[in-house]
Amino acid sequence: MKKAIVAATGLLLALTGCSSATEASGVSNSVTETTITVFAASSLTETFTEIGKQFEAANPGTNVTFSFAASSTLAEQILAGAPADVFASASEKSMDAAVAQISKSSVFTSNRVVVAFPADKPLSAVTDLNNPAIKWVQCDRQVPCGTAADAALESDGISGTPVSLEPDVKSVTGKLIALEVDAAIIYATDAKSAGSEFRSIEFSNSEKATTRYPIGVTLNANTKAQVFVDFVFSEAGQKVLLDAGFGLPS
Amino acid sequence: MAKKTQVSPALTAFGFAGLLVVLLPVVALLSRVPWSNLAAQLTSESSINAIRVSLVTSILAALISVVLGVPLAWYLARGPAAITKWLRPIVISPLVMPPTVAGLALLTLMGRNGLLGKFIYEQTGWAMPFTMAAVVLTGVFVGMPFLVLVVEAVFRQLPIELEEAAQTLGANPSKVFWRISFPLARGGVISGLVLAWARALGEFGATLTFAGSLPGVTRTLPMEVYVAMEVDPASAYSISAMLVVIAITVVFLLRSNLIKAFNGK
Repeated sequence: MKKAIVAATGLLLALTGCSSATEASGVSNSVTETTITVFAASSLTETFTEIGKQFEAANPGTNVTFSFAASSTLAEQILAGAPADVFASASEKSMDAAVAQISKSSVFTSNRVVVAFPADKPLSAVTDLNNPAIKWVQCDRQVPCGTAADAALESDGISGTPVSLEPDVKSVTGKLIALEVDAAIIYATDAKSAGSEFRSIEFSNSEKATTRYPIGVTLNANTKAQVFVDFVFSEAGQKVLLDAGFGLPS
Repeated sequence: MAKKTQVSPALTAFGFAGLLVVLLPVVALLSRVPWSNLAAQLTSESSINAIRVSLVTSILAALISVVLGVPLAWYLARGPAAITKWLRPIVISPLVMPPTVAGLALLTLMGRNGLLGKFIYEQTGWAMPFTMAAVVLTGVFVGMPFLVLVVEAVFRQLPIELEEAAQTLGANPSKVFWRISFPLARGGVISGLVLAWARALGEFGATLTFAGSLPGVTRTLPMEVYVAMEVDPASAYSISAMLVVIAITVVFLLRSNLIKAFNGK
């Protein structure tokens, strides 16, 4: 019995060693698929999942796996050696932070923050956020959507304060969808996917409200990673992004 | 002199490996702390805010957990088995619930559109999310099950003959509890209190979902670490080190009580 346990443990450890070695060298053979690991900002969840599906269909034998989180968190993970092949960031600042592990990057799309609210309780202007009776939330300034939100709020002269500074845009959107708040500063893309029960209004300074998204291949990425990045820049990839409400790269 | 039991080398090896799994990450964390700058880090405005929010809410949550949890543990230990056998898993369930699920559960109860929250909001205009009260309630939700678990086990181990003797001598149930059962279970109650407090202190996901994260109001120490991680790693390591030292100190100070509790004294 004891010998069986030891043997099983040994086998398990050997199998773990085998699979990680294969992934590290990026080797693909006709039996196993090439896996491309993409770290992407949470605001890219729906679009990149769709892009991943289209890419897999167009490139048989590939498997795209995603890790969606705040760009600043992902940059930290990449610097600490996380096995990402591609990094799609919601801010140039986070891409710069990870630059030591990135071979090259370029801007592939842009997004802007808007003020979103339930359609049956609309805000008439951005300055409504100054009203203490309005409960609103935004991202914390340490994350890209928060930096854009702060810049846009400042340029519109908003002095009111939010009831929470969330660590990423998905949790901000979640609070709006749960109807716990009257307004939320989220990306235009999140406002769009929130559905017809929600509307949004624009900030007056669109430059301050806009954030550019760079995408880059990491230093130890497997050879297919660049093919994925090229797909994001292709007409098919760009269409998915534009349909969701993202802006042009420039 | 008693002969020391010999431990097999294999058992020692596995035990040592287990120790390393817990010890090494803590050692690695402590090695990143800017010890020379520690005082400045921990007295920054954001750190002090987080310390205050965490201390106030976790202590309140622990106290509420005792007031509500000890009677609940008593009922589970002494109540009719037909009821307690299905009540117990429900009471313990927050222990195995993913934190975000716990937060969602609290939101669907006490949010502006919640089962209870909607009524309160319509009557008073007050809603629990985004308040310090929400952090306390979350702490009770995740911490109290620990206390109930430990205290019920201690109550069960009390010799029932003592309580029966007191009853035959004329003591009513309340007297039996306060004069006999509770004093004997004190050690267990203390360790349950400490566990509930530590759990409430460390809560992150549920608090974030239900209470949000506003500095000075709802941003607790774990949230502060999460936010500081990218921009101010020195601050994140400093706060983490402080939390680790608190955890180890508390367990050390209460070691004799913990041993007594687990031995059923």
